[in-house]
Amino acid sequence: MSIQHHPNDDTLLRFSTGGLNAGLTLVTQAHMHICTQCRDRVAAFEAVGGALLDEQPAAALAPAAFAQVLSRLDERPAAAPAPRAPRQANLHLAPDTALPSVLAACDIGRWLWFGKGIRYSPVRLPWAPEANVMLLRVAANCAVYPHTHAEHELTLILRGGYSDCTGQYGPGDMAEADADILHQPHADDEGCLCLAALEGTMRLDGWLGKWQRRLGPYLGLY
Amino acid sequence: MLTPVEMTGPLDAAAQAHLLVLVGQTRDRQAFAQLFKHFAPRLKAFHLRANVSDTAAEELAQETMLLLWRKADSFDPTRAGVATWVFTITRNLRIDHARRQRGIVPQDWAEEDTSPSAEVLSLEAERAERMRCALAGLSAEQRRVIELSFFTETPHAGIATMLNLPLGTVKSRIRLALARLRDLLGTES
Ligand SMILES: [Zn+2]
Repeated sequence: MSIQHHPNDDTLLRFSTGGLNAGLTLVTQAHMHICTQCRDRVAAFEAVGGALLDEQPAAALAPAAFAQVLSRLDERPAAAPAPRAPRQANLHLAPDTALPSVLAACDIGRWLWFGKGIRYSPVRLPWAPEANVMLLRVAANCAVYPHTHAEHELTLILRGGYSDCTGQYGPGDMAEADADILHQPHADDEGCLCLAALEGTMRLDGWLGKWQRRLGPYLGLY
Repeated sequence: MLTPVEMTGPLDAAAQAHLLVLVGQTRDRQAFAQLFKHFAPRLKAFHLRANVSDTAAEELAQETMLLLWRKADSFDPTRAGVATWVFTITRNLRIDHARRQRGIVPQDWAEEDTSPSAEVLSLEAERAERMRCALAGLSAEQRRVIELSFFTETPHAGIATMLNLPLGTVKSRIRLALARLRDLLGTES
């Protein structure tokens, strides 16, 4: 797999600082699992964090701080509550399609129809239920109506691919979109399976409406 | 009773690695005391700069040191510098802390595997020093946006407000600073 498109430096920096929201973080992790270049980039940014930490002037600790930590060294860490088994619908993927391992603990909904040639499956992160993540499936040779994005969005191609004015995207590639980009993705002969996340948090009641507005343009595609 | 050892100056990267390996291999409390003396006050300062309360910063510093003790045997000096390793622990704790405040069960960070590639590993030993030089090579403005990226939750909007600059200016300044860092570090794009 030859990866041509990576998250930009700014996104990787925010990932490294912990400033990226949970959904965008998940998609970035999925990309990093298969991209050494981005792992190296993140390692460099984390080293910036390490250097900044090391350079901090010492702040005054509580007088008993060291004694308190010392008294806890032999404490057994509290057992984490057993994680609830995720609810994952059968998405009827091709047998050789593996979903990214970062999705293992997530709930994955069944495919929902969203216009001709487009289906999406909502993904819920137990540690960030408000995160906006979904799997997206576009049928072979479907073109999407030209659209822009109101917010920062990351899309990782899992299978198949598409092209638009910004280039050709295949498995492992990360498409990054914000308000500056107007594009018309055109799925290739195999169609396209992606994992996408959107900036911002939404309450459940507003969730579907938000996706409808966002996916609205897809409805006009043929 | 064991107390943090009095030291003349901050620990350098090699001394940090030596001490942390000792903690990992022999549960050496004296070595832990030295690491505590170096890192705990810096961790607290780091979190205070991110605008968390004094109580929360203290708690995050102590929790980080406790995790340093528990995870010391998984530290591999060929993979990352100690300060970098400690930074990632405390960053994840800060994310968990924010989630706990909203009543959410934190993520299991152990599942994450984001180890750098082999080429980078061989450079890890020198990285701390090179990083320090690279940071020193940034202009004051560039350094400020990079620092703020690490100290604010919502980098762009937060930094723009803090510096009273338009968002676009902040974005392009971060881009320039990162490009400059990359030049200084001599990494390929
Ligand atoms: Zn990449």
